[in-house]
Amino acid sequence: MKENVASATVFTLLLFLNTCLLNGQSPPGKPEIFKCRSPNKETFTCWWRPGADGGLPTNYSLTYHREGETLIHECPDYITGGPNSCHFGKQYTSMWRTYVMTVNATNEMGSTFSNELYVDVTYIVQPDPPLNVVVEVKQPEDKKPYLWIKWSPPTLIDLKTGWFTLLYEIQLKPENAEEWETHFAGQQTEFKILSLHPGQKYLVQVRCKPDHGYWSSWSPEYSIQIPTEFTMKDTTVWISVAVLSAVICLIIVWAVALKGYSMVTCIFPPVPGPKIKGFDAHLLEKGKSEELLSALGCQDFPPTSDYEDLLVEYLEVDDSENQHLMSVHSKEHPSQGMKPTHLDPDTDSGRGSCDSPSLLSEKCEEPRASPSTFCAPEVIEKPENPETTHTWDSQCRSMEGKTPYFHAGGSKCSTWPLPQPSQHNPRSSYHNIADVCELAVGPAGAPATLLDKAGKDALKSSQISKAREEGKAAQQREVESFHSKTDKDTHWMLPQEKTSFGSTKPLDYVEIHKINKDGALSLLPKRGNNSSQPEKPRDPENSKEYAKVSRVMDNNILVLVPDPHTKNVACFEESAKEAPPPLEQNQAEKGLADFTETPSNCRLQLGGLDYLDPACFTHSFH
Amino acid sequence: MNIKRSPWKGSLLLLLVSNLLLCQSVTPLPICPGGAVRCQVTLRDLFDRAVVLSHYIHNLSSEMFSEFDKRYTQGRGFISKAINSCHTSSLATPEDKEQAQQISQKDFVSLIVSILRSWNEPLYHLVTEVRSMQEAPEAILSKAIEIEEQTKRLLEGMELILSQVHPETKENEIYSVWSGLPSLQMADEESRLFAYYNLLHCLRRDSHKIDNYLKLLKCRIIHDNNC
Repeated sequence: MKENVASATVFTLLLFLNTCLLNGQSPPGKPEIFKCRSPNKETFTCWWRPGADGGLPTNYSLTYHREGETLIHECPDYITGGPNSCHFGKQYTSMWRTYVMTVNATNEMGSTFSNELYVDVTYIVQPDPPLNVVVEVKQPEDKKPYLWIKWSPPTLIDLKTGWFTLLYEIQLKPENAEEWETHFAGQQTEFKILSLHPGQKYLVQVRCKPDHGYWSSWSPEYSIQIPTEFTMKDTTVWISVAVLSAVICLIIVWAVALKGYSMVTCIFPPVPGPKIKGFDAHLLEKGKSEELLSALGCQDFPPTSDYEDLLVEYLEVDDSENQHLMSVHSKEHPSQGMKPTHLDPDTDSGRGSCDSPSLLSEKCEEPRASPSTFCAPEVIEKPENPETTHTWDSQCRSMEGKTPYFHAGGSKCSTWPLPQPSQHNPRSSYHNIADVCELAVGPAGAPATLLDKAGKDALKSSQISKAREEGKAAQQREVESFHSKTDKDTHWMLPQEKTSFGSTKPLDYVEIHKINKDGALSLLPKRGNNSSQPEKPRDPENSKEYAKVSRVMDNNILVLVPDPHTKNVACFEESAKEAPPPLEQNQAEKGLADFTETPSNCRLQLGGLDYLDPACFTHSFH
Repeated sequence: MNIKRSPWKGSLLLLLVSNLLLCQSVTPLPICPGGAVRCQVTLRDLFDRAVVLSHYIHNLSSEMFSEFDKRYTQGRGFISKAINSCHTSSLATPEDKEQAQQISQKDFVSLIVSILRSWNEPLYHLVTEVRSMQEAPEAILSKAIEIEEQTKRLLEGMELILSQVHPETKENEIYSVWSGLPSLQMADEESRLFAYYNLLHCLRRDSHKIDNYLKLLKCRIIHDNNC
């Protein structure tokens, strides 16, 4: 019987167990409290993990007791911490005391207790992450920009009383970098990052921890764009610009050094030297330095008063085809031409412009034909020719509008007149001397003198030729004021003049005293070689070598009167060498006197080389 | 002549003795007698230094405990036995912020001083016993030595603070007596290990207490609750 009862009981139990197993229901699994945390040392929360629920609705309860107490308490708050949690409020939280907790899972089948958990709030402190993270790029003046990070502690933490102490940490990285850069910030709530990569986007995070406890989780990432540093870029740009310009300067200097002279001449063309009219190459060849120097007239650089002496003009009667009236004063030309001290010693000046010997000799042919009549001056016809008027620039103003005239009267031939040449800056007049030297182009089309400043297209060769054609006879003269070369070359074509004229006869000169309205030349007789003595003691007027024009024929032929004081009236033979010095001296000395006495003194040398005496112009400038 | 000499001798001897007595009675003055105004080391400096020491001591204690537990007592469940086993639990120490804020400054400082004094002897024996252990763990021993050293300095500083905060305190040395030395010397390894475990556990806790209290006091006294 007993055995039956026992077996029946066993059987029943097995059946029951079978039933339960078949149903799949079982008591709940063992829960486990896996985590407890206190964010502020004033409250804390514990979470458990439920076990298998056994297929049945399961209730959980947490019970605890504290160290030193025997009373068991149940969790005061199951809700605040979320599901399967227990939250302990301020009144339930104690520091430095061990909590013994247990979670009980209960279902219909039974209940299961978890293991006890010994929790001391002291050691489970973990704050929330910092709040209100602000990231800025600050760019102080003349300093590199830096990153300024500022945050605030999480809520519900009492820092003021010192109950809680927080320590912070920052991490940042450029957007595309892999590793974070960590900085410990201590207890401060702001931080500066000084080493930045400009132009990059940075990510910043902050976390905190209690003085003794766990680190919080990281705050959300805050991104910021670092602006590109313009100053650095600017510096680089300026450095590259400086280097480039230095290189360019070096290249230019090198090029200049290599082709220095040619470039200089290209940029700054050499100032053409004055043409020395009357500068006799023969003088140079003969090597008479004394005469040459005197001819150059370098010794005395006269002021305004002097140039008039130099501008002594005299007409040279010429029988040749050219029918040029040359007023050549060999002495004067070089002196005049050399007056401007800036004479260029090169070929431009003083080259055969007023080659006295050849020209004189040539031009003296005509006078011989009618020796008693005149020396045919070559009158430069200026004002009548409209072209000529324009050719002159201001310096030759005096010539414009003035009709040369021949003064038949008087005992002397005056220089070709410039009516009342105004007094003006002697220097400029000297410049004019150089500039206005004109070559009368021969029939062969010899190159004319070049006028730099005055009248570039002053007179065309056609005029000259025209004048020459008209004035075939020695008596006929046309004064051509200026003729400029097209190529602006200030060469005195001395050799050509020589060839054109070809005559070796020494020519005698007359000085054109003045020209009246009708184009008559008043000439002064030239002293000539006969009187090589200085003419100082003589009458100023007589000292000049001029021929007097008695009358004009056919509007272009001068009839000269012989100078009673001279032997040769028609042509004064004069060697270019001898004549110039004394005359020049005389001229120099009497410059002022001439100026005042003969205001219309204008020396004009005609012939192969034409030029205007600047004194004429100076007079006209008044 | 003899009569004259003896008075001189006597007075000389008297003078010598009195000098000796006077010399002995000279005691070194505390650093800051009286108020902090006349003191070169200010209260602020004292608190700063104290907080640094207390923070340092707790860090050392916490490390020492972790290392010991990891090495010797992991998995033995000693934590369950180390309940209510600290010798300083008899001292009425606040257990939360509200309780701490209810204690007066001078009581608070006195309390801290008491706790520190309570640990003089345990620390001393800890060092002695660990040093004499077979295969003495060097890390634990060095920390124990350091903790003992720094706790002494902290105590001196706290006594200075006490003399400034509560000058009229009579030398009322209240402290808890530790009687755990025999446990440290027990033959049973487990008992001995538990004794060490318990000692280090209590040391960790009390050092945290002191650190927290000092930080509270510093903010209260120096910064007027505006840290």
